[in-house]
Amino acid sequence: MFLALRDLAFAKGRFALMATVILLVAFLMVLLSGLSSGLIERNVSGIKLMKATHIAFEFDDTPSYVNSFVDKEMWEAWAKVPGVNAMTPLGNATFNARNSDGTPLTITLWGIVPGTFMEPTVLTGAPFASDPRGIIISDELIQKGVEVGDVIRLDRVLTELKVIGTAPHANIGHIPIAYAPLPLWQEATYGPPGGPPPGDELPKVLFDYASVIALQVADAAGLKKADDEIGTVTLTREESFNASPAYREEVLTVFMIQGFMIIVSALVVGAFFAVWTIQRTPEIGLVKALGASTGYLIRDALAQALITLVSAIAVGGIAGYLMGRYIDSTGVAFKLEMDAITFTVGMLLAAGLMGAALSIRRIGGVDPIIALGAER
Amino acid sequence: MSATSSIGLSARGVTLVLGDGDQQITALNDVALSVSKGEYVAVVGPSGSGKSSLLAVCGGLRTPTKGQVEIGGVEITTLSESERTAVRRRKIGFVFQQSNLVASLSALDQLLLMVHVDGRSPTSADQDRARKLLDSVGLASRAARRPGQLSGGECQRIGIARALMNAPDVLLVDEPTSMLDHNRGRDIVKLLATQTKEHGVATLMVTHDASMLEWADRVLRMEDGRVLAAGGASAQAAQ
Repeated sequence: MFLALRDLAFAKGRFALMATVILLVAFLMVLLSGLSSGLIERNVSGIKLMKATHIAFEFDDTPSYVNSFVDKEMWEAWAKVPGVNAMTPLGNATFNARNSDGTPLTITLWGIVPGTFMEPTVLTGAPFASDPRGIIISDELIQKGVEVGDVIRLDRVLTELKVIGTAPHANIGHIPIAYAPLPLWQEATYGPPGGPPPGDELPKVLFDYASVIALQVADAAGLKKADDEIGTVTLTREESFNASPAYREEVLTVFMIQGFMIIVSALVVGAFFAVWTIQRTPEIGLVKALGASTGYLIRDALAQALITLVSAIAVGGIAGYLMGRYIDSTGVAFKLEMDAITFTVGMLLAAGLMGAALSIRRIGGVDPIIALGAER
Repeated sequence: MSATSSIGLSARGVTLVLGDGDQQITALNDVALSVSKGEYVAVVGPSGSGKSSLLAVCGGLRTPTKGQVEIGGVEITTLSESERTAVRRRKIGFVFQQSNLVASLSALDQLLLMVHVDGRSPTSADQDRARKLLDSVGLASRAARRPGQLSGGECQRIGIARALMNAPDVLLVDEPTSMLDHNRGRDIVKLLATQTKEHGVATLMVTHDASMLEWADRVLRMEDGRVLAAGGASAQAAQ
């Protein structure tokens, strides 16, 4: 690194300019990483909290939590599939609603069979299903002003839900989840507005339907055959993220931006080192003529690129992290995850080094003969 | 030839043909020469006579079409590229034209670069040798300056000190005065002669300037790729 360090000190203006570009890219990449993690968290945090290993959807080329519709025969059939330890139907429906004080809300109601592995962890208030018309709400709704004891009325269907407790932050499709006993969910989703006429009961058939079937699978070997027989399509819990509203589009958009940023970075670094290497060609020829091997010069140049990239990415990454902490505190869809940040800056470093390496390899083609005046 | 021979550089039957087909040029034609350790040989000739090609072949920068070149007892024309690079590093000192210093390095670092390219970190003995060499060319007080902060003559003196840093057997000098005024050019040539004797290196200098031959032990004249004449410096200068 003898030449590398001295060149960095000598041409600090040029290297600072290039490092500034990388620094800004690293800054942006950390923020994009936080945005990506935040979007994922807002979109599928409810799914991530599930204790299910797999989700069975109504058969469809593009399974969806919103459009899936399963019946009792299906979940009873799944209960008998070898390798499935436990199963429970899950209802998913989104409603506009109003709180006791008239505050408009949008909630996704999840219908859960009490006593199953789908029951939410209750942070405050009464246990799940301790009141047949009670719901446990994601704590995000608390931040929106809902309190335990409030009554939320669903628009159009006019079903009233009593808030009896809170659960950890859980969203699907950016909408906070409220956990209800499955019969209450079925009444709100399939029943008539305002519920059954006084003295009447809802038809029993309404209680034979849900959206998906949550499974705890010990052996996945028989799932495909069971899907074919039952008329479902089964995804792992992580695969089912794509069945959440707009998840695929959001993640693809952010990943594409990140991908383009990485490609741009590789090109910027590659172009810089290509120009730098061309500018240094007479000097490279000279040092080769003095006896330096091509390997020595390439190692030196790569060390130079590494120092520049690591310094710029470190400063940009730290600045992005600090900005991210601020953004995180404002409540927007943003989440700093060290794994994601490390992966992002690692990719940026690798892309930059690749760009530099492709440019630097031209050192091998420089003929030391150019050091002789008459041969230039 | 043994490594203890007094001959630092020898070339026998060296022919260098450049280009292909109708574009072929014979840059060197059956050249033979030898330079003893401590001897200062100048090569003069018009532009295109083959002087630089001779330096390129003797320095292992070009492989001759025919013939042998020995540097410090090592026949270099049959060596691989990496082996020739190692010979250049350890047995040959190059003095180039004025601009051939590394712009980012101080005068002292220009010399220490020779240690680094040899894959070593400079020891205190290397540091001492570099400082002594700078002192011997009158630039001890300029050790921390970069080429941009030095005059053309000072740069050329650093180039000479750098060429001697790895204690080479042979010094190959390419037009050392072409960028200097007459008086500074004479100082450089005189310094080269002094260093040649002091360090016992075989020095081969090519120059187009016949007024710089005063300190040469022998002068070779080149024309059309051939060495035409050899003799004492004063006789050649007179011609």
